[in-house]
Amino acid sequence: MLRRFAISFLLVSLCICAWARTRPHYGGSLHVEVAGDPWAGPEGLARRLVLDGLTALDANGIVSSALAVDWQSDSNDHRWQFRLRQGVHFHDGSPLNAAAVVMALNVVCTANCPWTAVRAAGSAVIFTSDSPMPNLPALLAGDAYLIALTRTADGQTPANPIGTGPFQFTSSNNGRLTLTANESCWQGRPFVDEILITGNRSIRDQWLDLSVGRADIAEVPPQELRQAQQQHLSVVVSPPVELLALEVSDTGALSNAVLRAAIALAVDRGALSNVIFQKQGEITASLLPQALAGYAFLFPADRDLNKANELRGGLTPPPLTLAADGDGAMQLAAQRIALNLREAGFNVQVANAHNAPHPGLALRKLPLEGADPAAALETLLRGAGENVPVAGRNPNALFRAEHDVLDLHTIVPLLDLPRAWAIGSRVRDVRLRADGTPDLAGASLEGTQ
Amino acid sequence: MKVMRLIWLVAVMMGLAGAAAHAAPGPWEQPASELADQIAAILGPGQAHLTIRNLSSISSDEIPAIRRLLTQDLKAHGVAMASAESANTIRVTLSESNIGKLWVAEIGEGNVTQVAMVQADIASLSHPGQIEQDPILLRKVAYLSHFSFSRGLPFVSDDPVLATIDPFLPIALYPDKLEFFVFSEGLGLQEDSSIAIRQDRSLPRDPRGLLILSADKNSFSAFLPGTACAGSRADQSAPAKHAADAWKCDCHASDDPWPIAVDASGLPQLKAFYNSARDYFTGVVSPSVGVDLPPFYAAALLPRSAGNGALLIGGIDGRVQLAENGAAKIVTGTRDWGSDFAVLHSGCGAGVQVIASSSGEAANDSLRAYELPALEAVPASAPLAMDGTVTALWTAPDGKSVLAVVRNAANEYEVDRVTALCN
Repeated sequence: MLRRFAISFLLVSLCICAWARTRPHYGGSLHVEVAGDPWAGPEGLARRLVLDGLTALDANGIVSSALAVDWQSDSNDHRWQFRLRQGVHFHDGSPLNAAAVVMALNVVCTANCPWTAVRAAGSAVIFTSDSPMPNLPALLAGDAYLIALTRTADGQTPANPIGTGPFQFTSSNNGRLTLTANESCWQGRPFVDEILITGNRSIRDQWLDLSVGRADIAEVPPQELRQAQQQHLSVVVSPPVELLALEVSDTGALSNAVLRAAIALAVDRGALSNVIFQKQGEITASLLPQALAGYAFLFPADRDLNKANELRGGLTPPPLTLAADGDGAMQLAAQRIALNLREAGFNVQVANAHNAPHPGLALRKLPLEGADPAAALETLLRGAGENVPVAGRNPNALFRAEHDVLDLHTIVPLLDLPRAWAIGSRVRDVRLRADGTPDLAGASLEGTQ
Repeated sequence: MKVMRLIWLVAVMMGLAGAAAHAAPGPWEQPASELADQIAAILGPGQAHLTIRNLSSISSDEIPAIRRLLTQDLKAHGVAMASAESANTIRVTLSESNIGKLWVAEIGEGNVTQVAMVQADIASLSHPGQIEQDPILLRKVAYLSHFSFSRGLPFVSDDPVLATIDPFLPIALYPDKLEFFVFSEGLGLQEDSSIAIRQDRSLPRDPRGLLILSADKNSFSAFLPGTACAGSRADQSAPAKHAADAWKCDCHASDDPWPIAVDASGLPQLKAFYNSARDYFTGVVSPSVGVDLPPFYAAALLPRSAGNGALLIGGIDGRVQLAENGAAKIVTGTRDWGSDFAVLHSGCGAGVQVIASSSGEAANDSLRAYELPALEAVPASAPLAMDGTVTALWTAPDGKSVLAVVRNAANEYEVDRVTALCN
């Protein structure tokens, strides 16, 4: 009896699977769970669903039009003009215009902006700067420069984020964000009706919810990729989109460049990759990955403890604090680095980033976005707080720019890391953006309509 | 004596061929020359030991030739090759990034190492398509693509092309405009001018459209979700400056059914109501086919020797059904079909084939011809690989080709015309 039932079930299953794949269906609620805050940048999944930038990076990392339809520069990239897309409205119905864009950019960027001034000119937004801005279109695609409405029609500051993106912010209750489809989105209405994003959920709980159908998309940290495969989760993995790097202060005890060089030589990247990140990161001493620059092998990544000790000489620096934010793997990696540095004669204590506002050392993940090496390098350096315009497509110039930064030993590249997501069986057409986050506006659900 | 003369002749010809091959610039001459220039500028005249390692996809068979080129070019700059004991070293790494090949030279002079690098790209080789002994062989020709032109620049559309008319009237339908093309000698089709289409409501995320030309080629109809346009030639005494000026076009909000099958004179044989918010046909068709149809994405009227023909529909549930004689029956063998198909009157095999897109699991879709002798789709050609995702597919007005809109990996759209050759 059981055998007959099993055969029947198999035949029914085969029949169900035998139909052709169709166009994506509209409708349904997509449930997403993440470990962090879904709204806080730069990894906030919800921000890019609600807000658009003037430009965007397509899946291949190429700069494409978004709220701006075209742009041009003159005065050797000292002045850029972005022409706005017509007929775009914020979620509250107010029209997108140049004045609203300028106000939004002035709110999100108050210091160390890529531009000196930004102003509205008719339906265009004009950026000017004392120094060239060769990569401005790529920089404006970044999470930091997304456009949100700053003043409603009655002059009030909106209580919730209001953007022009495919989903609009509906509510935030008990750590769960509810976003609903923007029916009049300039890119077309998204396929799903709503997205529910639950934040601050542990990876184990996310996977459990995925397995019982309570979640459709869950995070897979790089160090958990192998385990996800063992559990037969359907996982999409990005190319390396984050650089794990050690930021070294050039003030105080570490103002001596020789000490910073000794720190760079003392770190054991191999142990970080093999033990902490389960061989899912690519060892690097270069800011740009080999796939993007082609010359990453020029920067030696091997540990040289003898040289580190030699460089430190008789100097005994005062105790240092190594701050790390993020998940458990980041804390473990920080502990490992502290151990490496102790072996080189440094006295290092690990602290959570929240408890150490001005640490001598900080373990961070920096964004690696885009297909243009110069723009990617500038974005990465800005992520590290360095305001360095990187110009030109000449590989020699790019290498020199990177070499000059690394020679200061204020950023020590360690690993290039991918981002990965586990996808539930009813979700279709999830593609990853250039930053490794899923493009949920293009995703649809089976069994809806 | 004759044999000796023949051997001499062959030797001379081989020598000439070899010399010709040597004279022709190879793909690596330019980067080798540029890298040698940079190395010589750093090193100056003298001796150095050259090593080459390959981290790229360049075949190891090509390394000796690259070494030879570098050695020759360095020698021309006064840099002679030396043994490994030399104090000067040149370590060339043939590397690669997503952008292309990168040749990197690390030039060591004592304890000092300097770096030089050049981009060393060569055009990728195209692979000829395979030929199989199926009834027909599908082939594609770019209709609107990088080979077409837009104001002197290669045609690249970031906006979705929804439909085109070819070859009688080159128009492309976009979500917000009708773009008119003109044929220019030597340049092919060129984007000329456009008529804006005002939309009163937002389109769905993957909008679809339809363009139909009348038999006298003096009028056309365009359909978008929630909008219909009627175009007719404007009465003009003087020749129009732009192609669009020769047409009057009226667009208005409309929920009228879309013509899903037209006869040879361009008149609709069958119309279907369209759900603009959900991007599919509701299943209600006019005139009725005598059976209730489920909602569907695609439909095609297959000619029959008797009667009005059979209506093939691709349901939103993925099932392909054939409605004929007041009954709708499931067609098997369509598991690999995507949501788009069109009828091709090839004259090969059974004479009529259905061209279906693949199901979209792979990064690039393919098109394949099928025949439906009964209620089973039988492949009639090998799959024809397309350069991206097929987003729309329809039969050209002549019935002998189908037009496919393809979105490539860079999210750019092009239109290919697909025809059939009889095997």
